[in-house]
Amino acid sequence: MLVLSLIALASVFGTVIKQGASPEEYLAVYSERTYRIISLLGLDDAYRAPWFIALVLLFAMSLVFCTLRRLALFVKEKRGIRLPGEDRLSKMELHAYVRGKGLEETIGILTRDYRIAVRQGQGAVLERGRLSRYGVFIIHTSILVILAGGFAGLLFGYRGFVTLGIGETKDRLTLSGKESAERPLGFALRCKDFRVNHYPTGEPKDYVSTVEIIEKEKVVLEKEIRVNDPLSYKGTRIYQSTYGSAPVFLFNIGGEEVALTEREIFRKKDLLLMPARFENRIHDFGPGVLVAYLDNGEPKAVWFLKGVDRLREQTLQGVKVSLNDIREQPYTGLEVSEDPGVPMVWTGFALILLGLYVNFFLHYRRIYLLTVPEGLLVAGMALKNREDFKREFEKMVEEIHGHTS
Amino acid sequence: MAIHHKILGVATLLYLLVFFLHVLYLSVKKERILSVTWITIYGTFCIHTLGLVLRWIESYRMDMGHVPLANFYESLIFFAWSITLVLIIMRRRIPYPVITMCASASSLFLMGYASLSPSVERNIQPLIPALQSNWLHIHVITCFVAYAAFVISFVCGVLYFVGWEGIVPSKETLDDINYRSVTIGFPMLSLGILTGAVWAHYAWGSYWSWDPKETWSLITWIIYALFLHARLVRGWRERRIALISIIGFVSVVFTYFGVNIILSGLHSYAI
Repeated sequence: MLVLSLIALASVFGTVIKQGASPEEYLAVYSERTYRIISLLGLDDAYRAPWFIALVLLFAMSLVFCTLRRLALFVKEKRGIRLPGEDRLSKMELHAYVRGKGLEETIGILTRDYRIAVRQGQGAVLERGRLSRYGVFIIHTSILVILAGGFAGLLFGYRGFVTLGIGETKDRLTLSGKESAERPLGFALRCKDFRVNHYPTGEPKDYVSTVEIIEKEKVVLEKEIRVNDPLSYKGTRIYQSTYGSAPVFLFNIGGEEVALTEREIFRKKDLLLMPARFENRIHDFGPGVLVAYLDNGEPKAVWFLKGVDRLREQTLQGVKVSLNDIREQPYTGLEVSEDPGVPMVWTGFALILLGLYVNFFLHYRRIYLLTVPEGLLVAGMALKNREDFKREFEKMVEEIHGHTS
Repeated sequence: MAIHHKILGVATLLYLLVFFLHVLYLSVKKERILSVTWITIYGTFCIHTLGLVLRWIESYRMDMGHVPLANFYESLIFFAWSITLVLIIMRRRIPYPVITMCASASSLFLMGYASLSPSVERNIQPLIPALQSNWLHIHVITCFVAYAAFVISFVCGVLYFVGWEGIVPSKETLDDINYRSVTIGFPMLSLGILTGAVWAHYAWGSYWSWDPKETWSLITWIIYALFLHARLVRGWRERRIALISIIGFVSVVFTYFGVNIILSGLHSYAI
């Protein structure tokens, strides 16, 4: 329980401090000293910090031990169900004497709902809802299963994203996290089409990317990906996440028509250039792009402005380069993830549902029957919902009586 | 003003009436007033439901049909509705007017806040793509039924520390009702978190992203799990249990309101 409270407390930190941001972002909010403490404790990524994982493991272990200990107790108790003596039964909160009624006949009435646990000389113990006592174990086990699934995902899974313009093909994704590392997809992904539907009010209603999965130069799968409707291929899941538009620069380089996006490198003989930065408005001259190039091995940059003749056409390294047009091209932002823990987590979810049902909606009741000189002593006990059981017990006693007349 | 706004306005006034009827009953203690109160509660619930249904129909007429569970206003209205629903379900178990009074007062507060606060957008808004899923219904419904049950638990927890002679039921009874409402709320919250996780898997690409709302719902879940364990394993009762239920509800309120206002995250677009 203490461990669980600690986890709750630790999670609070995680929500208060922004997670997984860059050091600059933290330094903008906190002082340098505070940031050093934050990063030392791993609070900028609290849910992956070693101490947090250790805490969860500790919790899992204590859960295992508690559950096993209680399970052992239960098994012992089950074997040890005995019929107490008359003095103890008559002290129970719910008890009644029934006259003129045999033990066998009463058992016959009760076994419609109850199960005989023990027959013992002149009496018997009946029970109902034994399953409910195992609800706790089901819940605890399923929490362990979910945690195991979570760890599997943490160890063997990844998350990242791919942005694709219409017609573009990529076979690598950018991993999310602090370092923007890349990782091969294992196949090529081509965006065939992308469209956004709007509500009459102008808000986006739906965005859909039509993508193709290409393996060994062959299209193996084509699917429309929408929000809430991802694509799943060989364990990799691809989600519609965002969309936007990026400028495309239409150049004429030495007589060749070329379309370049930002940071796309163009190489031809001695000329190496790259559109480095797009500006929608440069003073009053309209849109322009800063082009970086190598001037005899030395990096240089020059502005191309669409609306200024003198700057639209320039000669770089002896090659005539002219900017014909700048167009906005839509792109789709796809989230890519692989998580082998998911089936396990789903199993855990199904189990926990069962456990919750069993634990909270079934309850355990026990009836003791003992033949005594005055007749038959009936006593009952319930672990939960005692008020309800009291009513049930009273009805039951009436019913047993009723069969007499 | 659209018809559903008017109907929901009437429901708000009826909640006010329910509140006054309770006050009247508690001061004069005539059984007839109590039965009138309950009839009014049922009537209010019907009107409230009608308001929700009309809003639903209206959204289809506006060509963006979706259940009225999609923005903050709709969630407030639905929260109030869930509280009344839980009251009706638990009616037999809580024949104590002071509890129903506090619970319907919270409905009144939510309805009033929803219709009066200038920061709440009351019009039907189109459903953004991430919310267009069948998981929306079950996720939101289970979460709010859980919240509503926790409202009852909180009311019992607070009443435990209030010593109004003759009005507040005995401490054992409060403790029992408190526990019962948590046994409704806890499985519902679990279900809400699970459905949310499954939905997140389809919409955001991961069943758990440690988004502030998710994390806070987990914190709430842990607090109520502690509540149950403290009671069932350690045998805690009454005073300490009442305290936990108050802490738990603070966490619920933070999960619902606080996260939206203070922290940003994936849930920020809605509830």
